[in-house]
Amino acid sequence: MEKSMATLEKGTICSSWNYCSLRLATGLVDGTIVIFDTSDPASSSFTSTFKFKVSDERVIKVVWAPPEYGDAIACICSDGSLSIWEEAAEDSENVQWKQCACFGGPMDEILDGQFGNSMSTLKLTIAYSNGLVKVYEILDSMELNNWQLQAEFQNVTDSVAKFGKASCSSASISWNPQRSDDRPACFVLGFKSDTPQLNSPKVWEFDQDHQRWLPVAELAEPDDKGIHVYTLAWAPNIGRPYELIAVATSNGISIWQMASMPDPSGRLSVEKVAMFPCHDNEVWQMEWDMSGMTLATSGTDGRVRLWQSNLKGVWHEQAVIEPAT
Amino acid sequence: MVYVCKLRYSSVGLIDGFRLPSALCARRVFRVDFRYWVTPDPRLYSFRCQKIKCNLEVHLLHPKTLTMAIETLKHLTILPQSTYIDALRFLPPLSALDRYIVSASFNSDSDEASISIHSFNTTNSPSLTLQSSFPSSSRVTSLKVAQKSLQNPLIAASTITGSIHILFPNPIDASFQSEVSVPEKTLHLGSVSCLDLQENGSECVSVGEDGRVNLISVGDSALDYRRVFDSKGLVSYTAARWASPTEFATGGLGNALQWWDLRRAGGPVSQFKGNWAQGATSGIVHSIDIHPSRKHTCVAGGSFGSVFAWDLRRPQQPIVLSGIDNGETATCISESDVWEVQYDTFTSASDHTNLSSKGVLPVMICSEDGILAVLKQAEEPAELLAENCAINCFDIDRQNPSDVICSLEWESIGLLTRA
Amino acid sequence: MPGILTPSGDSSSIIPYSPEPNTPTLYTLHHDLKPPITPRISISWSRGNSLRVTLFRPLTTSIDDEPGGKVVDLKLSGEDVDTEINDAARWRRIAYGSVSPFAHLQNKKNAMAALSELRHSAPYDGEWSKYVLEYSKEINSLLGSKKTSLPSLIEDPKTVLKNVEEPSSLKAGWELLEIFYANKQSHPWIPEQLVDWLSDYDALFSGQMPSVHLRLVEFQADLINIQAVENEPAYWQAISSALAVGWLDIVVKLLRLHGSYQLNQLGTRETENGLVEAVAVLVSKMPRMRANLPSGKLGECYNNKSDFMRAWEKWRAQITKLDCSAFWLQCSHNQTKESLKNLLQILLGNTGTLSSATCNWVELYMAHFLYIRPFTSGLESMYVLAQKCIQLKPASSLHKLMRLMLGILEENTEVVLAECSRSFGPWMIAHATELLTAGSVEAEILLKEERDNLGGISIEESHRLVYAQVLSSHALTWQIAPIYLISCVKHGVGLLEILLYKQPAYHSQVLLKNIEICRMYDLDNVSSNAMKIAGVHHWKHGRKGAGVFWLQQARDEIRLNRIAQKLFDFVGKSISDESFEQWEGLIELLGSESRTAGGLEFLHKYRDFKRSLQQIRDGVLNDAARKAGDALILLMKNPSTPQRFWLPLLFDSLKLLNWQERPLLNVSQTNLLLNKLQELSVARLRPDFVEVGLPPQALSSVRLALATNLGRAILEE
Repeated sequence: MEKSMATLEKGTICSSWNYCSLRLATGLVDGTIVIFDTSDPASSSFTSTFKFKVSDERVIKVVWAPPEYGDAIACICSDGSLSIWEEAAEDSENVQWKQCACFGGPMDEILDGQFGNSMSTLKLTIAYSNGLVKVYEILDSMELNNWQLQAEFQNVTDSVAKFGKASCSSASISWNPQRSDDRPACFVLGFKSDTPQLNSPKVWEFDQDHQRWLPVAELAEPDDKGIHVYTLAWAPNIGRPYELIAVATSNGISIWQMASMPDPSGRLSVEKVAMFPCHDNEVWQMEWDMSGMTLATSGTDGRVRLWQSNLKGVWHEQAVIEPAT
Repeated sequence: MVYVCKLRYSSVGLIDGFRLPSALCARRVFRVDFRYWVTPDPRLYSFRCQKIKCNLEVHLLHPKTLTMAIETLKHLTILPQSTYIDALRFLPPLSALDRYIVSASFNSDSDEASISIHSFNTTNSPSLTLQSSFPSSSRVTSLKVAQKSLQNPLIAASTITGSIHILFPNPIDASFQSEVSVPEKTLHLGSVSCLDLQENGSECVSVGEDGRVNLISVGDSALDYRRVFDSKGLVSYTAARWASPTEFATGGLGNALQWWDLRRAGGPVSQFKGNWAQGATSGIVHSIDIHPSRKHTCVAGGSFGSVFAWDLRRPQQPIVLSGIDNGETATCISESDVWEVQYDTFTSASDHTNLSSKGVLPVMICSEDGILAVLKQAEEPAELLAENCAINCFDIDRQNPSDVICSLEWESIGLLTRA
Repeated sequence: MPGILTPSGDSSSIIPYSPEPNTPTLYTLHHDLKPPITPRISISWSRGNSLRVTLFRPLTTSIDDEPGGKVVDLKLSGEDVDTEINDAARWRRIAYGSVSPFAHLQNKKNAMAALSELRHSAPYDGEWSKYVLEYSKEINSLLGSKKTSLPSLIEDPKTVLKNVEEPSSLKAGWELLEIFYANKQSHPWIPEQLVDWLSDYDALFSGQMPSVHLRLVEFQADLINIQAVENEPAYWQAISSALAVGWLDIVVKLLRLHGSYQLNQLGTRETENGLVEAVAVLVSKMPRMRANLPSGKLGECYNNKSDFMRAWEKWRAQITKLDCSAFWLQCSHNQTKESLKNLLQILLGNTGTLSSATCNWVELYMAHFLYIRPFTSGLESMYVLAQKCIQLKPASSLHKLMRLMLGILEENTEVVLAECSRSFGPWMIAHATELLTAGSVEAEILLKEERDNLGGISIEESHRLVYAQVLSSHALTWQIAPIYLISCVKHGVGLLEILLYKQPAYHSQVLLKNIEICRMYDLDNVSSNAMKIAGVHHWKHGRKGAGVFWLQQARDEIRLNRIAQKLFDFVGKSISDESFEQWEGLIELLGSESRTAGGLEFLHKYRDFKRSLQQIRDGVLNDAARKAGDALILLMKNPSTPQRFWLPLLFDSLKLLNWQERPLLNVSQTNLLLNKLQELSVARLRPDFVEVGLPPQALSSVRLALATNLGRAILEE
């Protein structure tokens, strides 16, 4: 049962929905962003309301900021920059989109950036093509133009080892979707790079007492730690005693269970609960539904696949969605 | 013994070894079989709970109140629609024989909003028959009707995108004869939160969250409009009501009311800021009514079940008709948003002898927790409906004040006749 | 969806282990884009199980008018499972209507659990099954009105079947569950209840297989063209079929169409007519093992076994007597004779005749109940009988209602669950679990056991979550999802919090409804977060009043303090010009809520101070100056006045400090200000000090003015 919601402009190459799925931001090949809205929350026909240019290069990814910080997006462009744009009306002007901040660029190429969901402050994790990860934090909860670098590290479990001259072609960051200040901020990160140690997905947790990020788990089996990671997705947890994280690599899609509580060594025990080889299909995107029960994936085969666990806890491919030709 | 009571409790917990029901029907009035309660007398139970300071409050509706409510309601028909009803009104009579109502609805399947006229058939089983429909560009936020003396009625509607439409129904077949409108982005930035038509339909006031107050003069072929005030977003308005040809009241956030006089430009002539709700969270005024014969008193309904009257002659102290945390003076018919208030002409006509000239006239209200009731100063409220879903708006027929229509959240219209 | 059970022979396991996973369902997504489209598809979940799919077209240089892509909303496994009810509005009506019965039953359940806890005894089952039946009847009534195919006397005698509302298989399925699980009092009459059930829903089988209903419909269509019905084999076939499944009223009505009833024929076909009428009478006098019959239905009711037995024997004796009667020889119409005899065989329960008169196994099954084994009771023997009927009338594929019935008879809860879920969708299964658990202990254990494989929840809870997801995906039904979620003790609140978070808080109506739900279920942190989102949205979109209001409601001190600083600059700038009037309303709003306003309380005082200063400038002198002085001291004393405002305040007050006529501040007041200034100088050395945009000499000129004032004050005292 499908319903057409919006018609996109020519040259659109990426899209992203906001937290309540009532605003759509699309990125164009010429560096333009088009925003789509409906007139009321029950309607499902979207029309374009704002159009603005963020770059001369193509927009490769758009990410919405958490709504507690306003209506803002981060745009990652093919020149390696990440710019933050915010919708606001200043001093009796009309509402418009303005650039608040910009990170990276051709010399310092950004591959992925994701906002965290801590209730008290806004964090932004950025992964660079040189294999570095930077975590920025907002200084003023009402302004998106003041960011402070909070941490900078490499995606390796051994904090002593440093790898220079890494060359990464893609990265994926996924924050723990739980919005709570009781739990430390947490995200998982993986790379597709020429440095095997950087690649495997590692779960990073913020140690509030010492103000530093610590790797608490690695989602890879000993023999495929160097494997290229395409994308990662941390599932919402509505009450399970463990976390679920989906990992797409060149080997296929795997689903990992991770303990919610650390073991005595401070590590979170992990277990691969499902593995689905995806031959000749590079997974592009993975999304969990709001209950964390269904995983949707899309890839180079042009199909959307839905994955679920049955009552025995066995994960299986539930459905394949194929666009009509 | 089965009591009818209103419960508010929030979580399943153990009190005195007794587990409370889960908060399933918490918001609604429903029947509780007290055979399953520890205390045979619920009043005792309520007392004990209050002492333990738990989350449970039991409001016992007086059995008398209940019987009264049942007696007053002669007939109720709920008509399921396949559209969400955003607003509805009785239409002043187009002809001597027929009765019509006008409704603004939203079809979630087709994403279409429309304003429709239905003929209202009150014989043995009341029913509505669609007469004509006018497509609206977006959902209607406020719907009002008026009648110029000896002329045809007119319908005013404001939309969520900010446009205002005046529709002229044809008295012969109840079709829409003509329409004049002000397009969106002209009067307001964003949604129009409320509009009100003058009794004779000559002028219309519109207010919005953007803080603008506009005056629209209704002509047959065009609308003239001017801005009365623009707070530039510093104050948002959520309700408006005419008091006289030159005066009107508005309501907004923080339970504030403003009194405006078109003869005095530059801002409201009087302001009322409800600081009586000390301790309670501040609310929003959703609806205002002013009685034509007592224009110095505004009655307003808003958040947390608050219904109060503001007497311009005693501006500091509101008369609270219903609300929480207000001491012993008033009852609390509902604890959630009161969406609409209207003076109840029916009740006041039937027992006008009981009403002293000083008091507030009876007021009908509808609320988010499904209550449709008549409030009287210093009396127990008379409940007409206690539905499982929100009652979003209602209207009392001016010609037959015993008849009331209301729109329910679950895509249906209620038709009531009072005895 | 999770929780789909696959039927299996081994009842000890829920899902048979199969190394090959089930093949996934293939959906074809329709969109009106012209090919080609790129393989890169963007996906995003909306609320519930609605998936937003974005399709892009490749970047071609060719100039065509095609758009660059489409966004399509796909609702997965929602209300459309039962294809008969494809009217979304009707589905929502069922969803709205089932809230109240469901909620009441949950309340009763909790109350009874509490009671049994109190008395340390198990709840009384009889009471509970009464509530379950009540619940079942209420739900049943939502699914459509009772179908009646009863022909009335006034209407056209040739209308055998009345055109009534199309029965829904959803209702049929629900009634089956009700008969077996909810209606315990009527268990002795299950066979008769099933006969009634079939007469209501036999039409549903017609689309998929031959049925008596279809046979009657076809015959009725031909009827108008037939002169002498008794010559038509179809007429007799229709009668015997209707008789076999117990639609006695139709049988009698059809028999009376027999030509021998016509006035001009009576004389010549007297005996024939007598035989027809005799059969009609026997049919209408059939003993029925049931409490009562709806009006218009034929038969004689007996609600106790021995009475029934006696009547049944007597009735059968009458049939045998008629069968052996000599009148048959006098009947000249051969077809009538043969066919009536055939009817008698049906009444006598001749297996072969019943089998040929019925069209599918369920009909044959009913025929067995009626004419061969009226005392069949107990699911086990009923199941054996059903198996026998299936063998006699095998079907290539079973209708979903047949599969459901077999699952029930087999006492296989898993099959029943699987059928409910697969054939009728999430609504059915979420509501039917109440009937199933009331029906058997085994089912209750199966449904309520908490499973690690499901993340620690029971099957019942998992089905409710799935249904709540369906409700969540529609803008008009999401508000009833909380009722189901709250009944899910383990994961319900978690999902509810996410659902509420995903509502568009910046739409006032949605926000207010959201807050109401949060208030109901004590989710204060969720509602304050929604209010925070609304506050920030309004503030950033130029609606400052609404922004402050909602942030106050959310008690967000951090943001309010940030706003206070912005407002300070704003008020400072605009205090002199006419636009100040506009601020009045906002400051009014802030004023009374000092408890939650944070730094905004200061703003209120600052407004008064600025106003007095303004009056001085306007020439209202001494009195205003004194007031301004007092306001300044109040402000400086007040701990809520942020430190960064101290210097600007003092700098603004230079005129007061240097007041010509006499010093406005006494010694202690001046000392207070000097102390504050000292504190400020110390604070300036700290790295986190925020410098305000004042002239560099501001501090020194304030200090000079204060020193002068102190000197003058000392002298005056």
